[in-house]
Amino acid sequence: MITLSFFTDLFTESFMQRAFLAGIMLGVLAPLIGSIVIIRRLSFIADTLGHFSLVGISLSLFLSYSLGNEIFADKPLFLGIFFSVVGGLLIEIFRRYYKSYKEISMPIVMSLGTAVSAMFFSLSKKTGSLYNYLFGSILTVTDYYIVVIAVTMVVVILLYLLFFRQIISVSFEEGNAKFLGINLNFFQLVFIIVLSVVVSILLEAAGVLLISSMMIIPVAAAMKVGWSFRSTTIISILFSELSVFLGLWGAYSFNIPSGATIVSVNILILIIIAFAKRARLAAAKKRSKQDALPDSRQSL
Amino acid sequence: MLIDINNLTFAYGHKVVLHDLSLTIKPGDFVVVSGKNGSGKSTLVKCLLGINAVSNGVIFFNHEDINYFKKWTEIGYVPQKFDDFNYEFPITVSEILSVSKLHKTPEALKLKLLDDMGILENMNDSINSLSGGQIQRVFVVRAMLNHPRLLILDEPTASIDRKNVEYFRKTVNRLHAEGVTIILISHEQSLDELDYTHELHLDPNLEHTYKARPVQPPTEDIA
Repeated sequence: MITLSFFTDLFTESFMQRAFLAGIMLGVLAPLIGSIVIIRRLSFIADTLGHFSLVGISLSLFLSYSLGNEIFADKPLFLGIFFSVVGGLLIEIFRRYYKSYKEISMPIVMSLGTAVSAMFFSLSKKTGSLYNYLFGSILTVTDYYIVVIAVTMVVVILLYLLFFRQIISVSFEEGNAKFLGINLNFFQLVFIIVLSVVVSILLEAAGVLLISSMMIIPVAAAMKVGWSFRSTTIISILFSELSVFLGLWGAYSFNIPSGATIVSVNILILIIIAFAKRARLAAAKKRSKQDALPDSRQSL
Repeated sequence: MLIDINNLTFAYGHKVVLHDLSLTIKPGDFVVVSGKNGSGKSTLVKCLLGINAVSNGVIFFNHEDINYFKKWTEIGYVPQKFDDFNYEFPITVSEILSVSKLHKTPEALKLKLLDDMGILENMNDSINSLSGGQIQRVFVVRAMLNHPRLLILDEPTASIDRKNVEYFRKTVNRLHAEGVTIILISHEQSLDELDYTHELHLDPNLEHTYKARPVQPPTEDIA
């Protein structure tokens, strides 16, 4: 049952404030990177990196619970980020190795990540925690996680503003990069590292199975109503924030994983936009037919 | 000279596409590359753009071996098709031009170029709402914003109508008149309406000809 105590808790409970803050920041980060991912036709890359990031999470649990190492005991995110970047670099290596079949890189890296993380989860005897990492648990985020998101968001926005021209040029047309003096290989490397970091950060809130949805779906909906790159990006962030807010409310009310509720709202927005656009096109078609009718009568 | 091609031979496996091609292009020249499908026009462009590595023969751009060339910003390239451009994501003409310029180009110059190309009124339109011919002109403007020393244009044909081909040719003539060195890959049989200075005719039988055009009276400019 949807509960209004969500709003009172939002102002009184520190765990709710952390979740809300994390959600708001991720609501900006996810579509900002997601739009570039979509333009570059790399929609499956987030899933792959998420799976590989799990290697770091599971390794942290293994080191903590099986070997007694305390460094990563409550901060599995750090190894998660590290392995996500490793996964990103592996994708880049395989993409260059299979030049004509670049997409092969994704299943290879994803399978490797899934297999290795399954081994470590099993060895650490903490398979119960797998549930949170698969579907997200934004309501349990800690202070250090908020700091990591904040730092990442500032870095990503700075990079976005500083290299906007390069990002857009390369994203829309890789082949034109060298005529603009852009080092494509360096750009790819920086992009894959930033993307890997963002994906592993999203993992805690959205879960490995729903990361790409949080990055892709708001942008997919915005693409249907945006008229320019800027407007599409802004609309996707608005959709994303709306889904984070309503998703958080849903997760709190029904005590279900935040990733699932956020993505469900995202999908709902996408469906509404698709139907609204269809209805608008049908109305426009009808109007133009009606406008044409008197002319055809006259000509008769 | 701006471009010096010496004894260029290029083959895909055992199939030789260009054989012993030599020519020199001076600043301000307007070279039309003609020939049937499969005669090596696209291959030559790929060699000039560094996409095909030249191993037999040598191409110099401004006295620099193209294999070691780094200053690609001095070359503007407009392909025939824009299959690599991701149209489906909304982006306006203005946004494409604003993110694609290297130097801070005065707004007036951008507007003049758009006006010259007849697409000023499309500045705020989404790229995917434009016709093939209009898109081609947007990318000519994009290439020109970086003040290239050489403009390589692959003439559009199948994707756009006759009127747009004519408009495109007049646009190219105008750029040449302003002093831009141009290499135009033509897929049309007729080279009418083009104020070219040299013609390189490539032949599937590897018999290439490169000759200067006899002096012609200038064609009428677009009003």
